Amino acid sequence: MNAAIQGRSLWSDALRRLMKDRLALVCFGIIVVYALAALLAQFGLIAASWNAQVGAAYQPPSFDRLDTIMGTDIFGRSVFYKVIHGTRIAMSVGLVSSLISVPIGLALGALAGYFGRWVDDLIVWFYTTISSIPGIMLLIAITLVLGKGMTAMYFALGATSWVHLARVMRGEFIKHKSRDYVVAAESLGATHASRIFRHIFPNVSHFVIINLSIQFMGAIKAEVILSFLGLGVQGQPSWGVMIDDAKLELARGVWWQLAGATSAMFFVVLAFNILGDALRDALDPKIK
Amino acid sequence: MHLFTRFGVSAMLAVSFMISGCTPRNKGDTGNTFQTYQPSKVKGLDPIYADDLYSGTEVGRVYEGLLQYHYLKRPFVLVPNLAEAMPELSADGRSYTFKLKKGVLFQDDASFKETQGKGREMTAEDVVYSFKRLADPKLVSTGWWIFEGKIEGLDEWRDSAKAGAPDYSKPVSGLQAVDRYTIKITLKTRSAQFLYALAMPFTSVVAREAVEHYGKEFLNHPVGTGPFRIAEYDRNSRLVWVRNPTYRTELYPSDGEAGDKEAGLLEDAGKPLPLVDRVVVQIFEESQPQWLSFLSGRLDATGIPKDNYGEAIGGNKDLTPDLVKKGIRLYKNPGIDVAHTTFNMKDPLLGKNKLLRQALSIAYDVKPYIELFFNGRAIPAEGPIPPGVSGYDPDFKNPYREHNLAKAKELLAKAGYPDGKGLPPLEYVTTSNSTSRQATEFLQKTFAAVGVQLKVTTYSWPEFQAAVKSARGQLWSFAWNADYPDAENFLQLFYSKNASPGPNDSNYSNPEFDKLYEKSLTLLDGPERTELYRQMARMVAEDCPWIFELHRSIFSLVQPWLKNYKRHAFEHNTAKYLRVDPALKK
Amino acid sequence: MFVYLVRKLIGTIPTVFGVALIVFILFNMVGGDPTYQMLGKHATAQQIAELRHELGFDQPKYLQFLQFLKQIVTFDFGRSYATKQQISTMILDGITPSLTLTIPAFFFTTLISVLIGLLVAYFRGRIVDKLTVVLCVFGMSVPVLAYILFSQYFLAYKFGLFPIAGYDPEWPDRLVYVALPILISVLVSVGYDVRFYRTAILEETGQDYVRTARAKGLSEPRTYLKHVLKNSMVPILTNLVMEIPLLVLGAFLLESFFGIPGLGGITINAVHNSDFPVIKAMSVFMSLLYILGNLLTDITYTLVDPRVSFK
Repeated sequence: MNAAIQGRSLWSDALRRLMKDRLALVCFGIIVVYALAALLAQFGLIAASWNAQVGAAYQPPSFDRLDTIMGTDIFGRSVFYKVIHGTRIAMSVGLVSSLISVPIGLALGALAGYFGRWVDDLIVWFYTTISSIPGIMLLIAITLVLGKGMTAMYFALGATSWVHLARVMRGEFIKHKSRDYVVAAESLGATHASRIFRHIFPNVSHFVIINLSIQFMGAIKAEVILSFLGLGVQGQPSWGVMIDDAKLELARGVWWQLAGATSAMFFVVLAFNILGDALRDALDPKIK
Repeated sequence: MHLFTRFGVSAMLAVSFMISGCTPRNKGDTGNTFQTYQPSKVKGLDPIYADDLYSGTEVGRVYEGLLQYHYLKRPFVLVPNLAEAMPELSADGRSYTFKLKKGVLFQDDASFKETQGKGREMTAEDVVYSFKRLADPKLVSTGWWIFEGKIEGLDEWRDSAKAGAPDYSKPVSGLQAVDRYTIKITLKTRSAQFLYALAMPFTSVVAREAVEHYGKEFLNHPVGTGPFRIAEYDRNSRLVWVRNPTYRTELYPSDGEAGDKEAGLLEDAGKPLPLVDRVVVQIFEESQPQWLSFLSGRLDATGIPKDNYGEAIGGNKDLTPDLVKKGIRLYKNPGIDVAHTTFNMKDPLLGKNKLLRQALSIAYDVKPYIELFFNGRAIPAEGPIPPGVSGYDPDFKNPYREHNLAKAKELLAKAGYPDGKGLPPLEYVTTSNSTSRQATEFLQKTFAAVGVQLKVTTYSWPEFQAAVKSARGQLWSFAWNADYPDAENFLQLFYSKNASPGPNDSNYSNPEFDKLYEKSLTLLDGPERTELYRQMARMVAEDCPWIFELHRSIFSLVQPWLKNYKRHAFEHNTAKYLRVDPALKK
Repeated sequence: MFVYLVRKLIGTIPTVFGVALIVFILFNMVGGDPTYQMLGKHATAQQIAELRHELGFDQPKYLQFLQFLKQIVTFDFGRSYATKQQISTMILDGITPSLTLTIPAFFFTTLISVLIGLLVAYFRGRIVDKLTVVLCVFGMSVPVLAYILFSQYFLAYKFGLFPIAGYDPEWPDRLVYVALPILISVLVSVGYDVRFYRTAILEETGQDYVRTARAKGLSEPRTYLKHVLKNSMVPILTNLVMEIPLLVLGAFLLESFFGIPGLGGITINAVHNSDFPVIKAMSVFMSLLYILGNLLTDITYTLVDPRVSFK
């Protein structure tokens, strides 16, 4: 069996099935909208004026103007703009931390599974150790080292969330390395690198996609928790910071900042969940 | 699926109903109980580590020192506690001779082995021992600063103890137990502030037997001479104190300041203390449970959390009708403190440019800050000295503290940065909790109005302190709470010899100020000293090492059944004066 | 069996060593300086130097590490910087309130989520399934803080169904105080767990033995209960072990709002105070729990799943 053809058919098959799932498509659309909003905010095209005063302090939501649609905060700033700005933070945290953790998890898992023996022992030891230490402690330590802020958060989340992918990859590489098509490639003189990248990887790559959607969602939620602990973003609004603010505001009846940030998070997490399910259903041959 | 969740949740609810049906028992509660709280876990009950208000208050229930503050009189005045009378002062003003009360017993405790657990009498030797303990370098007390460089021979004793084991039998010339009931304290130089130290929890008298018997666990086994003894001790959630049966006879004061009689504060005059049988201390780390407990009558007195202010106080700064109907009383007291933003005077940019500091000070608008962050419960500060201590000048208006953007811009231009041009963003260091994050945003907006940018670095509280003490960053905000009611406690914050890591965190250094400060130390309270204090306050107002922001007012709410309540800014041991009227407590 | 256990136990030693090494590097070598905080607002330079010496900060790092290893082996972590309390006593004092809160919460959450998980797996792809996803995600998105503030205000204060806050180590009062936090904890975590168990159960429904069972004419509900659930125990157990650290640390907000003196609050206070000895001890303690939990799962696998044997 030719690996390349099998890979192509798996992907096109999956794509066909995904297109049929209306809900999954809607969810994909939602994620695109969030990404677009994040991108536009990044380049200052929308919500650049989140820091400007648009009304009195703690003005409840009113629908006559766009900027007060979600009310105002303690300094009379638009909660709506802050939510959009928070989207930028959430999406970039999800993206950058995934860019850090996916290669690590992929590489370590592949190496461990493919080479086995002492390489496997060492890598398994390493990730068992890392996963034994409570993630929150590692996050705290990394923010202590790098100072607080976005960079620390990227690294902290990136460095702590690769273990799951590494575990899955290791398992799959162990399974695949003794399959006929790999053994055949070896006898044809394929190098280790070529066997890892050209032969096995296309057959396990769907795990990366599934993992990515989980990872992204995890990062968004972790940002909220970290900011809530005062370890996250500094000097600009994020969903976590807004929810943290709510701790001081809810008692006086100011609920809109909490509601704004929560619902923004709700929809994107929901979209990732449903899309993740659909991806799994489409890509993972185990549950057909 | 619906069915299942609903079933699960309602099953849970049913279980909880069943168990919450039996209300928590109040073991041994006679009804004569003062219910209070602490907003933070109690660290421990060793007096030499009682450097925060919370552990100080708990330590004050069981331990006593030589002196205490008069409960009712204002301005704050010291009266004897374990001492029989105020001390005799020698002719040179350096030696104090204290006569101790006779028959004061330590509480019964297993550590008194010779007396089979019966508490023995407290003597002059105990006082000397307790003071040496504060100086013991191995114990690293947080209260050593109150004696450091003050008592003859004590610093030398401390230095000699650094090498080997501290030798408590080695005499200290300035700390003499003349006889069983007499102690003589000799200072290196005379000091008008020294006696205040003897009313602080650090100098409480402890029993050597207990310290040695419990070793490092002494901090969880308080054995004092005070009105209460510990009955239940869970320092993370609840402390229960009960009346000490062997407490000496101490009476409720029979005089106070004008108005106390009318306020009903003298009804118990001459009665033996304590008036309540039990003090129950609940730990509330969040304000919502504290507030709700007060509303439901499970707390006898409380401060008002910032966010429940609207519920408690109406527009005219008085109680809302709801609370008035419940018979709740409101007390407003000035806090003896000053909140400020410090300029790092070591910084080449800010330290050398007085006009720049003045410009920033004048650009800072404190009024909206007080409204947003204190619900108006603060007054603008004109200088370092708050109302309530001598040296405060009610007529003084700091020329750099009236908010005036035009003038700020003018000064900024004179300082060499018209409209903030050419001025790099200033490095502001702060802590990472929610309130300081919002306060930081406020400061950023304020300075942005004159074109000055802030670069913010956030730290955890300990790291923030380390940053400030090593003068990292260009400015930061802080508040100073008085340790004792003397303006010296505020003015020392500008004395050059107290520079970082000492309490002078701006590293302000002005030889003229130092000269006045040193002179004031030798004077007792009087018009001459007050004049010096005012002169110094005006000097720092002109030099602007700080932006003087505000002095807080403390609002407290009290249930109708709690009698004899009067807030004291310095005395920790006040629970003994309180009385609970069970008839009013349904 | 005994040999297997001993070998497994020995196998955890490198992990414990790794944990110790990482925790040490993070908090002894690169962490901050707590001395300023410990000495308070009147500290002098000389006092700070003395304190550093007293705490052994000026010793060589390898000696400090050996000291730390000794602490782990003897379970004697010294005293907290911030409170001067014995750390092992702090952990022991905190563990019962923590468990009183988290074990019932954990139990109810798992029970409810596995049941819902089975149900939605059974109705996979249908409207019930989709609706559950929405509800679960909603449950996951609403911050725990909102649950706490609202339920404390309404259920405890307004309706008086629960005490507002507090804790009593005596039974059954203890249960009265933890009832509301348990309820909140279940509401917060059910969403995530249902999502997880649904996937785990679905992965089993595709297996051959399920088809065989169906082919044998077993009814669908019986297939689910008898075969699918039994075989899903492996991922369910694994998930339970993964949640052990959360069990203790995840409850810190509930602890601070309801005044429960558990380990979460102790840890968060230590973090806020840079109380490194406590942070280190708690990290190691959690890791040990986790490693132990993993060991137990491994053993349970061999009991549940005959395909895995005592190698």
